[in-house]
Amino acid sequence: MVDNRTQLSLEDKQMLKEIVLPWVDDLHRVALQLCHDHCNAEELVAECVARACEHFTKLRDHSKAKQWLLRILTNTYISKRRTERTRQEIPLSIDADISEDNFSLFDQLSMPFILWWSNPEREVINKLMDEDIRRAIGSLPDEYRVVIVLCDVEGFSYKEISGTLKIPIGTVRSRLARGRSFLQKSLWHYAEEPGIVQSRTKKGQREHVETHATP
Amino acid sequence: MLKHTQHHKGISCEEAIKRVYDFIDNHLKAKARAELEHHLETCRHCFDRVEFEKLLKARLRHLKVDTESKALRKKIDELIEQF
Repeated sequence: MVDNRTQLSLEDKQMLKEIVLPWVDDLHRVALQLCHDHCNAEELVAECVARACEHFTKLRDHSKAKQWLLRILTNTYISKRRTERTRQEIPLSIDADISEDNFSLFDQLSMPFILWWSNPEREVINKLMDEDIRRAIGSLPDEYRVVIVLCDVEGFSYKEISGTLKIPIGTVRSRLARGRSFLQKSLWHYAEEPGIVQSRTKKGQREHVETHATP
Repeated sequence: MLKHTQHHKGISCEEAIKRVYDFIDNHLKAKARAELEHHLETCRHCFDRVEFEKLLKARLRHLKVDTESKALRKKIDELIEQF
């Protein structure tokens, strides 16, 4: 890295600034979503830009700068986390149930015959705090977190994600499905913890009793 | 009440659920989309599932925060100078 530091000409530096600076806010935003509790977002952006400087000559089409930078950002993030994990032996957040990839929160919450007039499952989603959802995203394995953040938070299309991460669209699709399954499982735990699910059940039971008490 | 398996020429609930994510992500082709929409008109359970997934996706989208970081842009500008 140090060896490359004096190689860029003034023109190159100027060009790099023109390419990179307009996207700093976007990079920072994605970094914040990815890093939540895991690393320093500004540091990640700086590392990403440092790598971009080293590999500047590889970017041929400047109109694809945003994708290129986001790819460097996500790759930097994933490899950083991998190194951290081997150094500190950070366990995968979801280890015990890693094989289960079709968990559906809807199936856990939906009660079609008991409360057919209401939508308890939608109420649960409405009651969750933003922080619960951030924590759930933060608990995802890195590869899945990246895809979920790009698709659901940032609003990228499958094609854009495929182009950014250089993975086939089929892989985008399967990582999304799996990531969402993990995410919903985490949210299920958060919904149970503060009693969001339980209070709703109690209310349901009370209504049930009252119905029967009425002559 | 009509059972989902009895839909004439329609898709099954199982097939509908498989298409849910492509549907909410706007990646279904016209024909597959029309088939699913038709199914949703007649199946409350799958309709609720789609609404649920849409709502959850909307909650995630809502997490997108506008960051305006002049300080970071300045740092990055200085960083590029070092190369």
